[in-house]
Amino acid sequence: MTQRTNVVLLAALITATAGAQDVSVYGTTMAQMWKQDISGDKRTMAPAAQYLGIDASQLGTEALSLHLFGWGRTDLGDQSVPGSKSAGDLTYGYLQYRFAEANAEIKAGRFGITQGGAMEQVDGVSARTDLKGGFTASFFAGKPVLYKNLEGAAQKDYEYQHDFIFGTRLGWRMSKIGELGLSYLQDGTTAAKDLHVPSPVDYTRRQMGADIHLVPISIIDFTGRTLWDMAKHDEMATAPSRIAEHDYTLAVKIAPTFVVTGNFTERNFQAYFAGTNMPNLFRQTELGKHRGYGINVVLGPASAVQVVVDYRNTKRDSYGEANRFGGEVRWTIPESKLQTGLGLHRVLADNVISIDDRVPTYSLSHREIRAWVMYESGRYSASLDGIRQSFDDKHNPSLAGVSSQYEFVGSLGARLTPSIKLSGDLSLGANPLFKKEVRGLLRAEYRFSMARKGGK
Amino acid sequence: MFRRNTLLSLAIMLGLGVLTACGMLSTEKSFAGTHPQELGAGRPQCSSCHEDELKGAAKTYASFNHSSTFVKDHKVQSGQDGNVCATCHAQSFCSDCHAGKTVMKPSTKLGDRPDRATPHSGNYLTMHRIEGKIDPTSCYKCHGRANNDKCTACHR
Ligand code: HEC
Ligand code: HEC
Ligand code: HEC
Ligand code: HEC
Ligand code: HEC
Repeated sequence: MTQRTNVVLLAALITATAGAQDVSVYGTTMAQMWKQDISGDKRTMAPAAQYLGIDASQLGTEALSLHLFGWGRTDLGDQSVPGSKSAGDLTYGYLQYRFAEANAEIKAGRFGITQGGAMEQVDGVSARTDLKGGFTASFFAGKPVLYKNLEGAAQKDYEYQHDFIFGTRLGWRMSKIGELGLSYLQDGTTAAKDLHVPSPVDYTRRQMGADIHLVPISIIDFTGRTLWDMAKHDEMATAPSRIAEHDYTLAVKIAPTFVVTGNFTERNFQAYFAGTNMPNLFRQTELGKHRGYGINVVLGPASAVQVVVDYRNTKRDSYGEANRFGGEVRWTIPESKLQTGLGLHRVLADNVISIDDRVPTYSLSHREIRAWVMYESGRYSASLDGIRQSFDDKHNPSLAGVSSQYEFVGSLGARLTPSIKLSGDLSLGANPLFKKEVRGLLRAEYRFSMARKGGK
Repeated sequence: MFRRNTLLSLAIMLGLGVLTACGMLSTEKSFAGTHPQELGAGRPQCSSCHEDELKGAAKTYASFNHSSTFVKDHKVQSGQDGNVCATCHAQSFCSDCHAGKTVMKPSTKLGDRPDRATPHSGNYLTMHRIEGKIDPTSCYKCHGRANNDKCTACHR
């Protein structure tokens, strides 16, 4: 959408809230500050950000509601983000109608949607409903929200190809046993090969998905999905598989406070990265795959002391294997409103073979320790969070000869009224060039509800 | 484009109309649009208040317990029961981590909430070169089609 249509839409939607019976306005205002020194180039960064949301329900009828959310950012000091000193976005703005039966609902406007394999931001319409016999149906269609990350002709190609998005899912449920779903997504109607001048990069997607959630007995919980890339690729002969993703998780609840979970994933780069607008980073030309499996064990209730032990093995064909293992303890003391956590992880990873003769190979292995504590009492809150990573091989060119890095964040907050909270964070760490950096942040969070009970 | 959208909305209304007319819609009452009970702090365990089955999802309430596994791996649930999530979560809750365009990383926005499962704490501009090398597919859920504003300075 153009800036102008955005403003018009916004104005229209906000006007519509005037007739609402129940309006809540919420938001966060933040101001950050830090000094940056990159090889003598000193700057003072002071970005300010505003997030604002409005939910208005019972617009004339019980079932109609309006939901808006957006943000704006502006640099009060030097420019802090590449591009421009200010930016903003309408994350969503839609009307929703919910029916009294069948959990049926319709949305129109800009919204985010998760449905089967799709997770999209759309300017259009969506609908869902439960059908007889345990079936459910849902669909959405419209114009995909476009992002500006490409340059010149590539951006034009991307926008041209992304003219239309459509997705649908059919599910079938069996009471207390689970659900099966089949979904289809088409993003863009003109593929790269159909252009007048065929482009080397295809920004469109045609994706099929199957998802499953099974709880055959109360101690077993199995979820997962498979996605297929259905697009016609001229070069498909070289691709190993049309399967974009397998991702399956099995949880065995041996006791309410003792759960063992296993996970398996496999992703083929060409099929999985379909539709990327960063083709040089998420490369479809990388014809191999990534696969991972892991297990984690959770012991203890979330409301007291909980221990999680985890292990994960991953393998990327073009790089190698990595093993990550470790554990985490979370301790919640409800009476004293205190919560604390400690996590330790070790990553043992294959060496990277680089093209630089001075460092022909280097290691990605590292360890990480994180500890935090949070306290909330009446009006006041405080927290402290520390993370430290130490690297086995400081010759890794990403590390500039440094063998460890840390960051501490301390926060103090006060609730001024039930609907307004102020907090300030101070963080101590390093910038990517490993120079010490202190950052300050002020945050005001608020939520106001205006309910007009008993008629207009 | 506008015409196509309007036509599609009409087609969808028509589709729903036909389904209703043919009596194919479920006659079960919809569940509450917003969760009737205010919840305390922390990750909710649905089964501590609810027994049995969430009818509109045909699943036990326990399968929505916000266990550490659920928090790490909520993709299938949100793909199947997005309307259940919406009884408690505004989309803005999800967009703290999942926005197509946003202001700052979730761990900065929620700097006063170390208990939250925010990705990218610490100096991530450095760490990401290691994690991204090991598994770039894990980034593609959030970056690569959207949320690339901070990447293009270095990745072209
Ligand atoms: C502190 C107790 C508590 C917790 C925890 C809780 N609920 Fe509820 N919930 C209630 C109460 C009370 C109601 C209103 C009475 C009812 O419908 O059972 C309700 C109603 C609902 C409804 C509407 C039911 C209907 O038919 O209209 C849904 C859906 C729901 N809860 C889902 C959940 C889910 C999912 C979770 C876990 C993520 C959860 N609840 C956690 C107390 C709780
Ligand atoms: C009954 C209300 C309820 C329902 C239904 C519900 N949630 Fe939550 N969820 C919560 C609450 C409360 C929190 C804790 C928020 C906090 O700590 O500030 C939470 C936290 C989360 C978190 C973040 C955890 C963290 O530590 O950062 C995720 C992710 C999440 N929910 C996803 C979902 C998804 C996906 C669904 C639908 C399948 C869902 N939730 C349904 C109430 C609910
Ligand atoms: C605290 C951060 C956080 C919040 C809040 C959050 N998520 Fe996620 N979400 C994640 C992470 C991390 C992943 C990747 C998990 C993995 O590796 O599979 C993810 C993955 C997903 C995926 C899978 C995406 C894909 O294409 O593979 C969906 C769908 C999803 N989340 C939906 C939601 C919804 C809906 C909500 C709000 C109810 C939500 N999330 C809230 C962190 C979050
Ligand atoms: C659950 C969603 C999610 C996943 C998964 C995710 N990110 Fe991010 N990432 C974000 C969000 C949100 C931001 C903030 C974007 C912004 O500030 O514009 C971000 C910011 C970043 C930044 C900028 C950090 C900074 O300090 O400014 C880098 C680098 C990054 N991500 C890399 C990655 C890499 C590499 C992966 C995979 C290993 C990954 N991300 C996975 C959500 C995600
Ligand atoms: C300050 C510069 C910088 C920024 C900003 C940046 N990166 Fe990187 N990124 C790098 C460098 C340097 C590497 C290491 C390249 C290598 O080792 O080949 C890298 C590597 C990666 C890799 C691994 C690539 C591979 O295939 O092995 C991924 C994935 C990645 N970045 C994602 C992101 C994402 C997503 C963002 C934005 C949210 C981002 N990066 C922002 C500098 C940056």
